[in-house]
This record gives sequence, C-alpha cells and structure tokens, in this order.
Amino acid sequence: MMRFFRYRSMIAVAAALCLLPAAVIAQQLSQVSRTTNTPPAPSGPTPRTPDGHPDLSGVWNGLGDNLIGVPNQMANAGIAVETETSTRDVFSGARIATFPRNSTSPLNDEQAERASTLVRRMGSNRPIYKPQYWETVRNLDQNANEEDPSNNCMPAGVPRAGIPSFIGQTPKYLIFIYPGQGGLIATQTSYRMIPLDGRQHTPLQELDGTYTGEAIGHWEGDTLVVDTYGFNSSTWFDQVGGYFHSENMHVIERFHRNGNTLTWTATVNDPDVLLEPWTTTPRVALLNPNPKAVLPESLPCSERDLAHLATKEHH
Amino acid sequence: MVEVTTMKYIKKGDILVSGVVLTLGLVLAGPSSAHHSVQAQFDVRKTFTISGTVSKVEWINPHSYLTLNVKDTEGKVQKWAFELAAPGVLRRAGMSREDRGGLKPGDEVTVSGLASKDGSNSGWLQELKLSDGRVIKLATGPNGN
Repeated sequence: MMRFFRYRSMIAVAAALCLLPAAVIAQQLSQVSRTTNTPPAPSGPTPRTPDGHPDLSGVWNGLGDNLIGVPNQMANAGIAVETETSTRDVFSGARIATFPRNSTSPLNDEQAERASTLVRRMGSNRPIYKPQYWETVRNLDQNANEEDPSNNCMPAGVPRAGIPSFIGQTPKYLIFIYPGQGGLIATQTSYRMIPLDGRQHTPLQELDGTYTGEAIGHWEGDTLVVDTYGFNSSTWFDQVGGYFHSENMHVIERFHRNGNTLTWTATVNDPDVLLEPWTTTPRVALLNPNPKAVLPESLPCSERDLAHLATKEHH
Repeated sequence: MVEVTTMKYIKKGDILVSGVVLTLGLVLAGPSSAHHSVQAQFDVRKTFTISGTVSKVEWINPHSYLTLNVKDTEGKVQKWAFELAAPGVLRRAGMSREDRGGLKPGDEVTVSGLASKDGSNSGWLQELKLSDGRVIKLATGPNGN
C-alpha cells in the first residue's frame, strides 16, 4: 500500500480504491455531525498585550494531528476531510475519495482502517527527499509499527507535535504545552519555553540534540515566528510517512492569530536529506470558547500493544 | 495485589467539558483512532465473551486497561487484559469514578470484545456487563454499529 507514497501517478488508482470508504474514517473518528469543512471563520477581536503584539495566550483545541484534530480536518499533507462523504486535496482541488453514505453494504473496521491509511498518504503536499533516501522513507513507513520513534510514549518532537494545546505568553517568553495523547501515535506530554528577548541561537555545533531543539521566537508584524534547531534525529517530522530527518534539521513555525483562530505552519529545512524545504499545509485551531477552560492533566503514557502486533498494518 | 489506579482524577466541579476535552473525546472515538492498527493486534472478525472479577483498572495513554481475574476450566486464576477506548469515550459511556458507576476491584463483570491475534490473554473491549445489570458499550462493532 505504501508504494503510493512514491508513485504519484498511481494516486488515481488509489482514488479508485478509496472510492467507498473514505469518509467512513470521518464518521468513525468523529461523532461530530459536520456537513462542511471550510476553515472556521474568525470571530471576535484579536487581543493584544500591553507591548502591542497579538496575545496568543489561551487553550487552543489543536490537540493531535488526526485528520479531525483541528476544526478544518486538514492534514499537513493537504488532505481535507471535507465532509462525511468527500475528501479533497486542498491544493489541486481534486476530490480524491468519496463515500456513498446510503450504501446498503456496511463497511467494517478493517476496511475503514485500511482506507484511512491510504487517504492519509494522498495529500499532494509532501516533502521531497533526495533520491538516495526514497527507499529508506518507504521502508520506515511500511514498517512503522517497529520504526516509528514516537509511538511508544516518546515525544512527538517538532513539528510533529503540531499546534500546542496551550500557549502562555509574556513579553519575554512563550510557553507551549502539548498534552500527551493516544491518537495516531502515543506520545508523552511535552513543553517548550521559547524566549522572545531578541537573543541569538547557540551555534549548532555547541548544542546537544534534543527532541524539541532550541527555539527562539520573534515577531514579524503580527506573526509570531519560532525558529528552532538543535534537534536529535529521534523523531519524524510529520504524523505519518516515515519522514525522518537529520540532526541538522531547522524548523520555522509561524503563528498568526485572527480573532478566535490560530493559523500555524511549519517549514522544515534539512539539506542533508531533503531536496528542498517543506512547508506544512496551514492548519487552523480554534480558541477554546470557554473563558474558564483549563488544560486538564493528561494521562501518563504506558505503551503495551506494539509487542502484540501480528501484522504490519498501521496508520 | 488488587488495586485501582485511580479513577478519581475527575473531580466534581472540574471544568472538564472544555472544548479541548470534548475534541479529544471525539477524536479518539472508535477503534480506528487507536495509536496502532486495531486489526494488526486484534481479529476484527472474532469476538469472544468472558467473565471474571475486576483486578485492576488503569487510566493511561494511549489506551486504558481493564485487567480481570478469570478462572480457567481447571479453576486456576488467569489474568486477562482488555484494552479500552480513550478516556473521553469511557466517560461518555458512563465509566468514571466509582460513585458514578465506575468499576472497582472485585466487581463481577462479563466482557465481550475482539480476540487477540497473538493468542495472548488479551482483547479489545467492546461491551461490559456489570453485575447490577448495566451494560456499557465502549466501541463500535466490526460493522461499525
């Protein structure tokens, strides 16, 4: 199945294969009755801090990177679960899968799982590796049950962690919190403390690589730019696909608040393995509408299943 | 040793039904949201039912677990581990702290679920019958119902 990763020309075939089950995924993952998938329209004012910058503080429902983990159900690859009956590539506009809701033949979990695995890899916005790594990426993806570095309660890393669920902002630094999750991958809670005081990066060679690297923020107009390097190579940079990276990966994230929405992109630059930088499809998170909302404790993570997997099937 | 790894992290009055929690629950609803492929570990076409007493309930990521003491045909007690849906799903299904219908060690229960593929004493829990007659359905069946 993962061969589709490499052969874009076969997407059409994949689309045909997916004709039925695509939105079963949406139905199964979501109990939300959703008839449209347009990104949420911003509402309300964009608050500002006393120093004039947008105030990004708050609980954002950007939990996880499941297709429906954010309100517009869009994956970094550019796949939008548009409605319960349609999945679309947001770049080309092409509808890549449909599901006849009133089908009289019920689909089982087996089919839905396999379909979702396929659909997740069909977005057109994917990183372009140097040819000598194509086979590596394909093998990592095919053997993700064993190879995925984050699926046993390890950190997701940056930018795989996606949009933080909580942002705390002061004039001098930001706090990002990413609760541990058991969605597409099992990850532990992680946090980032991001200085905004104008400091420069530590020279890369002086940094011991870490999961979240050395992050430094600055404002470009009303957009917060978080510049991070100094990673270890123990993470993948997207939720699926086997997208490994080197210790020289450099990530630029952009956060832009408009009313109650927060738009996020991440650009991954890793000349060691990529032919060109890759920028995620913009994702939009909504501010939690409850002004008293707090981020609840996330459960401790203890992974017990991977040792019992009997096949290579995965997300 | 019998223990309950707390079901009390939900305190009355906590603002848990925030958008975040709601989203989490919705995102994680259903088998296809497992961090692993369900069918890689369990046979979605093979369900089984077993009765026993609750040994342990653990609320953890990526899956919570219900461990039962089950007597085999020779009367020997075997441990069976059942993988549960995500916390939000459990909560909406009526499983929370003990005084609101949760489980406690020693409770007699009958569970139905998907069988493991590797033959271990484990399963993917779909239905839980308590001795007081309540039935809690935690996951969709093989046909998505």
